[in-house]
Amino acid sequence: MAHRWGMVIDLDRCTGCEACVAACHAENNIATVSSEQAAWGRTMHWIHVERYWEGAFPNARARFQPVLCQQCDAAPCEPVCPTYASYHNPDGLNAQVYNRCIGTRYCANACPYTARYFNWFNPAWDKPLHLQLNPDVSIREAGVMEKCTFCSQRILAAEVQARAENREIQDGEVKPACVQSCPTTAMVFGDLDDPNSQVSRLSRSVRATTLLSEVGTLPKVTYLERESSHGSE
Amino acid sequence: MIDAQNKKSRGFSKASAETSASRFRRIWLAIVLVTAGLGVLGTLWVGAAKEMLEGQDSSPATGGPAGSMSKEVSPVFTSARRSFFDALKEYFSLQPTPVQPIAFNHRIHIQNGLQCTGCHSGVTQGPDAGIPSVSFCMACHQAIATEKPEIKKLAAYAAKGEEPPWQPVYWFYPEMHVQFQHAPHIRNEIACEECHGDLSKQTVAVGSKNLTMSFCLSCHKAKAVSVDCVICHY
Amino acid sequence: MKRRTFLKLSAVGSAGSALAGCGHQATQLIRFIPDETLIPGVATWKPGICTQCSAGCGLQVRVMQGDAEVFRNGQWGNMKMGLAKKLAGNPEHPVNRGKLCMRGEAGLQATYNPDRIRHPLKRVGQRSSGQFTQVSWDEAMQELLAHLQPLASPHVAQSLAFLTRPLRGQRKVLIERFLSSFEGARLVPFELFDDAVLRTANRLSFGRDQLPTFDLAHSSYVISFGADFLGTWNSPVAQNVAYGRMRQNRSGIRGKFVQVESRMSQTGANADEWVAAHPGTEGVLALAIAHVFLREHLGHPEAAGAAGMRFDGWREGLPEYSPEAIAWKTGVPPETITRLAREMAAQSPAVAVVGGAPLAQTNGLFTALAVNVLNALLGSVGKPGGLQFTPRPPLSASGSAQEISGEGKADSVRSLAQQILSGQPKPIELLLLYEANPVFATPPGWHIKEALGTVPFIVSFSSFIDETSSLADLILPDHSYLESWIDDVPESGTTEAVVSVAPPALRPLHDTRALPDVLLDLAHRLGGRTSQALPWKRFEEMLQATLAPLARHPGSISAKSSDEFWKKVQEQGGWWSANASQVPQSKTPVDFSRPMKNQEPQFAGAAAEYPFYFLPYASQQFLDGRHANLPWMQEIPEVLSAGMWGTWVEINPRTAATLQIEQGDLLEVASPHGKIRAPALLSPGIAPDVIAMPVGQGHEQYGRYANGRGANPIKILAPHDEPTTGSWAWAGTRVNITKAGKGELVLLTGGPTQWGAEKSAR
Repeated sequence: MAHRWGMVIDLDRCTGCEACVAACHAENNIATVSSEQAAWGRTMHWIHVERYWEGAFPNARARFQPVLCQQCDAAPCEPVCPTYASYHNPDGLNAQVYNRCIGTRYCANACPYTARYFNWFNPAWDKPLHLQLNPDVSIREAGVMEKCTFCSQRILAAEVQARAENREIQDGEVKPACVQSCPTTAMVFGDLDDPNSQVSRLSRSVRATTLLSEVGTLPKVTYLERESSHGSE
Repeated sequence: MIDAQNKKSRGFSKASAETSASRFRRIWLAIVLVTAGLGVLGTLWVGAAKEMLEGQDSSPATGGPAGSMSKEVSPVFTSARRSFFDALKEYFSLQPTPVQPIAFNHRIHIQNGLQCTGCHSGVTQGPDAGIPSVSFCMACHQAIATEKPEIKKLAAYAAKGEEPPWQPVYWFYPEMHVQFQHAPHIRNEIACEECHGDLSKQTVAVGSKNLTMSFCLSCHKAKAVSVDCVICHY
Repeated sequence: MKRRTFLKLSAVGSAGSALAGCGHQATQLIRFIPDETLIPGVATWKPGICTQCSAGCGLQVRVMQGDAEVFRNGQWGNMKMGLAKKLAGNPEHPVNRGKLCMRGEAGLQATYNPDRIRHPLKRVGQRSSGQFTQVSWDEAMQELLAHLQPLASPHVAQSLAFLTRPLRGQRKVLIERFLSSFEGARLVPFELFDDAVLRTANRLSFGRDQLPTFDLAHSSYVISFGADFLGTWNSPVAQNVAYGRMRQNRSGIRGKFVQVESRMSQTGANADEWVAAHPGTEGVLALAIAHVFLREHLGHPEAAGAAGMRFDGWREGLPEYSPEAIAWKTGVPPETITRLAREMAAQSPAVAVVGGAPLAQTNGLFTALAVNVLNALLGSVGKPGGLQFTPRPPLSASGSAQEISGEGKADSVRSLAQQILSGQPKPIELLLLYEANPVFATPPGWHIKEALGTVPFIVSFSSFIDETSSLADLILPDHSYLESWIDDVPESGTTEAVVSVAPPALRPLHDTRALPDVLLDLAHRLGGRTSQALPWKRFEEMLQATLAPLARHPGSISAKSSDEFWKKVQEQGGWWSANASQVPQSKTPVDFSRPMKNQEPQFAGAAAEYPFYFLPYASQQFLDGRHANLPWMQEIPEVLSAGMWGTWVEINPRTAATLQIEQGDLLEVASPHGKIRAPALLSPGIAPDVIAMPVGQGHEQYGRYANGRGANPIKILAPHDEPTTGSWAWAGTRVNITKAGKGELVLLTGGPTQWGAEKSAR
């Protein structure tokens, strides 16, 4: 059965703790680039938490928003790839095939969410840090683009398991690393084609918005707006 | 008079045009060849420098890029492969015949009734087939064929508490980013011989099948299984 | 034709030379036979316990077969072994319920860190030079034994001290028993952000010498005075789990969250209302709210009697704390105070939280007691949605937080330093160190390094060389926590009684030994009282024996035999029970004869010369600096500033404009006790008269990722205390700032209101 994987992030629950960022690094063998390269903007946080300040002290407010690849249904990064390394798979994922990538970086240029990252260097881990590497995820070499894959390795593992047990994947069975670690359960992941899945129900919430939807990318990450309480301010 | 002059000038310009054209071609060819040559030399040089620096424990904190490059080589360029020759080998999918520490004889074991999954037990449960530990071999070989020189080698390893350094016969270059899962294939009753050849006819295992992507795709297409890129490359 | 041939020949030539390349290079190291059978590529999940902070969350460790270089039988070689590949929360654990914070996730890097000590070391150079040579375990144990034996005699004139991070559970019990056979031996826990003031306040107010647990999931109103409870304070994961439920788990109820502080923290950014109060005035603000309660007959004044009577003027309704009277002091308008009081009285259950900088003032205890009064008025103590306490497990010696000797003044590294320097009551002949770094995390005014440096012999069990363990003469490295038997009794974060226990998730990578096993071995060799106090050979045996009584109590495990119980406890990662009875409150006689008067916070440095309040805050990534050696923590940005790989000085934009300071300018921050430099970062969320810096960088001896990076704000803090508890008032220093050139900020994004549009300051 085909799925359409999507995510909901409840900004009323997100506290900016960044457990998702660390979990993603751990799960997906993301390289640490060093402080010099970080100053050049070459860090590769597949998911990172933005903060938006409004106002000035004492009325300053800050809002957190975790940003990751939105797995757009009309992804601008797909048509621009000359080698078809960035393509839309039958499960709705915007997949990145590292073998095909020749590093033109046109996809990163096209992405309005700046969610794509280029490997300027071969990653290296001072031994024995290399033992932390997850064998289920490729190590990307220099010259290749990478980005959030919605933890495809976990999706595929669940599909293999489900097929072995002759059943369908249950709602909530697949949890990308970020979703699994989020302490406030702000992040929910599932099949948008299943109207009864938690992610489908939450994406129909009255608080649901998407990021830069006016650009027409049809992102599959839905954000639930942060609320405010009554009788205050 | 004018005609002769015209003729003369036409002839003159024609001759110079020919000479110029071929000269341009020659100069252009020279430029291309020299640039290509420099490029190859440059790649070789960097590749050699990189191999020289391999093994140096450099850390992200020491100022350089997070790669095993040191300050002597350009901080901007790191090669995706260890050397030019490594890249070439990978490009042509060249996998030289591995040299095994012990001449393991598949034929004898299969003739004696052993199944593939008896030793390569991982295939039914996960991605990797696995190679058994020497203790698994010694379970039988502490008594069987102990006088054979290869078994003596095996026993020597076991006595030292060491594993024989088996070399994989079927493997992919890491940059091919293939995440192959044995278990789903076994569950779908793909016989081992289909991808690994008939081991009952081999002594020391050699790669009798060339596991290219078209090899995988042909079977996937024939059996109407997904050929989506992401099921293997992620 | 010639060209084509040439090209063909070159192609064939290159291919030929490529083919000539050799096949796989066999690895030089030998391959050991594995100790365990693992199916390659298939993961198993094992239980664990996180020790990255003192919350004590339960772990699930994903273990897969991998190839590691290990040390076995005196040599190095490769071995296929189960390796931890990912850490996650244990879904069953009552504290964190399957979730984990960023520091917990980074625990993998603590185990696989290249700077980990891999074998016993003996000092060869000067102390603190970091020059060590490898020795064998036999040699190391002999040497330590040689120093311990004389101290074990009955009337010996010298003694020893064991300086550790705060410990709990049987690990603590073991160390206490080990030390009990040495006359005058001291177990000194040290942690920079240790909340001793709050424990004392809770003991005085509620009879519980313990950190509180907040049932936020059922709260309707939360007011927090400076506590970074969603970030770094107390039990952050448990508090985040509860907060998520508070916000969106109950139909129609979202609760209101108010944060009171002088610098917007990660927690404060989530508040519905953010109240700026001057540093050190939070207690007065809490009493002003209490005043409104008393004036307007809100809440439960009769329930607050015992807590309230501590304060002068309680019976009169706290007249000197009226909102109008203290508005100028706190900077909070009286209408706001009155409104907040009415709101929290109306939206029940309401709870008040206090922690962090407000308690690290000279009037910290005053503030904590004031907020406790508020909780009593709100009727939140021991109630759903309110302030509760984790019950103690039904064990005679559980090593729980409540087994601290009830004097209120926990043993401190300062008094240890005094004893070392004075030699009274006994000179310290031997100092044992374990996962505590006071040389880094104390102000120079305490002279800790000088004091510790005079001890004749120092032994460290830590896994890393840091500023403190570099003083050691002998190092006997412990396993990492993923390689060890760990047990814990969480102090807070759950309303269930919990004893966490987990076996090692992976075998030791290096030639290290578990600290408890080393102590048991030493006890055995020392004989006499010491070995009688610790009759076990391995820590695993001690755990099985001492935790066996739990089987008799109703809890998460049902078993027919003690062996079955022990097996199940290990599989689950611990034992817990929602039915454990509360420990009876200690009946500390309350002295009302000297009710507390208002205490103004004292700040080191005259306001004229040092115009800014200085706020060092526990950083999200490093806490008190302990995680600066983990590369993920260096590179993941601090969420509000987006800063990575460094330290910065947070300054209000208007203040910066007045002083002509631009983002990235190098600032020298000077207090009466020292000065440091770091680049300026303009932050809209900080008060104009406050300067803040994250704690954690500025290491000099903590490995390749931490060394020579950033600045350590602890080094300019004034060494003055909260007088009653003797707790350090680390938030009570004033500073001035001067420009010192151009600095470098490494930021993930550009501007604070735009998305990556501005360049990072460089």
